[in-house]
Amino acid sequence: MSFFSMMLKMSEGLSKTCAIFFLTLLFSLPLGMLVALMRMSRNRFISTVTRGIISVLRGTPLMLQLLAVTYGPYYLFGFSVSRNKLIPVVIAFAINYAAYFAEIYRGGIESIPKGQYEAAQVLGYSRLRTFLRIILPQVVKRIMPSITNEVVTLVKDTSIAFTVSYQEMFTIGKQIANSQTSFLPFVVAGIFYFAFNAIVDFGMGRVEKRLNYYR
Amino acid sequence: MNLKKLTGLILILVMVLSLSACSSADKGGTKKKFIMGIDPEYPPFSYMDDQGAYTGFDVEVCKAVCDELGWELEVFGVNWDQKLVQLDANECDCVWSGMTILDSMKEAGYVISKPYFYNSQVLLVKEDSGIASSSDLAGKDVAVQLGTSGEALLNEDLADLAATFGNVVTCDSFLKCFTELAGNAVDAVFVDLPVALSYTKENAGYTIIDEELGAEEYGIAFRSGDKELCSQVDDAIQKLVKNGTYKKIADKYPDIVDNLIFLNQ
Repeated sequence: MSFFSMMLKMSEGLSKTCAIFFLTLLFSLPLGMLVALMRMSRNRFISTVTRGIISVLRGTPLMLQLLAVTYGPYYLFGFSVSRNKLIPVVIAFAINYAAYFAEIYRGGIESIPKGQYEAAQVLGYSRLRTFLRIILPQVVKRIMPSITNEVVTLVKDTSIAFTVSYQEMFTIGKQIANSQTSFLPFVVAGIFYFAFNAIVDFGMGRVEKRLNYYR
Repeated sequence: MNLKKLTGLILILVMVLSLSACSSADKGGTKKKFIMGIDPEYPPFSYMDDQGAYTGFDVEVCKAVCDELGWELEVFGVNWDQKLVQLDANECDCVWSGMTILDSMKEAGYVISKPYFYNSQVLLVKEDSGIASSSDLAGKDVAVQLGTSGEALLNEDLADLAATFGNVVTCDSFLKCFTELAGNAVDAVFVDLPVALSYTKENAGYTIIDEELGAEEYGIAFRSGDKELCSQVDDAIQKLVKNGTYKKIADKYPDIVDNLIFLNQ
């Protein structure tokens, strides 16, 4: 198999890699905000439970969470294993990444000085309006570098979906490596991931620049 | 100037001598270590027993071979779809774990032992699925383990059959293939006969479609330079066959006895 046809075959799996990537971001970014707000809740019960969940999600490998989401329902309750593996994969990825995003959001929100809330209160802003119009725009700017970090990691983490036999790009690469007894598919995979991340880097850099309006 | 050169020369000599002293001490003291590469999830050839130690037909034969040759055995669990890379990287000295001999291995220069087991690939399905032959699987999903000869067959010799399947799902272990089948995510598992036999014995509700789809043989793979090592192992196995040790080990694994080449010649 030539280098070119290898790349062609593996790029078929690239669309599935992209599906994991975009769907995970779509669900985990908002979910992370929800989790962050729960984590910072004044209700002690909610914040403690959320803290526990985040600690489990960050303290166990994504690969195990993926196995748990895919095969757990079958072993525990006898439910059928999903034929479309994209569903359990995106659920597991979205939950896992939401935990990381939540902590990034929390760090951002808590970095805003208390004086701003007090000033907003004096000006007659409601709490919701204070958060949406004053706090959040500053938070987004501050956390962009950390978010980029996670997004770049996500690109590479998509290869973990292999563990539940989801046929993404790296899985196909492994299959070719096997049948051809060749190391070349891994080189191709490396190139693909790097190119993907170069695009992500560029895009996130542009966003960061746009948000830089105070300087 | 001359003194400097002389000192340098002496220093070099000292270093070389101490190095050679090191290596000769290593060789003298311990027995030769033979590292066997296995798939730890491949019963009855190689698996983990209840105590957590590696065992299985291949592991026991290898142990007997090492005893015969006075080697020390170390069992190493390889990542099956990377087995030959790990062999090349010296992580193990051989791959010996119900491994199907493929032409591509010989073409790539690996030294392969005498074949010791006749194998065929079969389809494992649920008893109540109503699937009786491979043609019933048209449009259905079939799971296969990545890096096995079954996967290679579906890509090459049996590509026409595979094209009639709905999906070919590649898992990274047999456990996952079987879980997919148990959880109704696939309709059949394409697997080596002995694995299918041991699975149906331990789990009720499954059946093997009586149709041999690919005939093949198991062998042991060595690195391209290890011709001598290979013939040492081959000879040792023949000794074990002659003195009855081989038969004694085989009797512990009744599922596979009929297909052992050395006992059925």
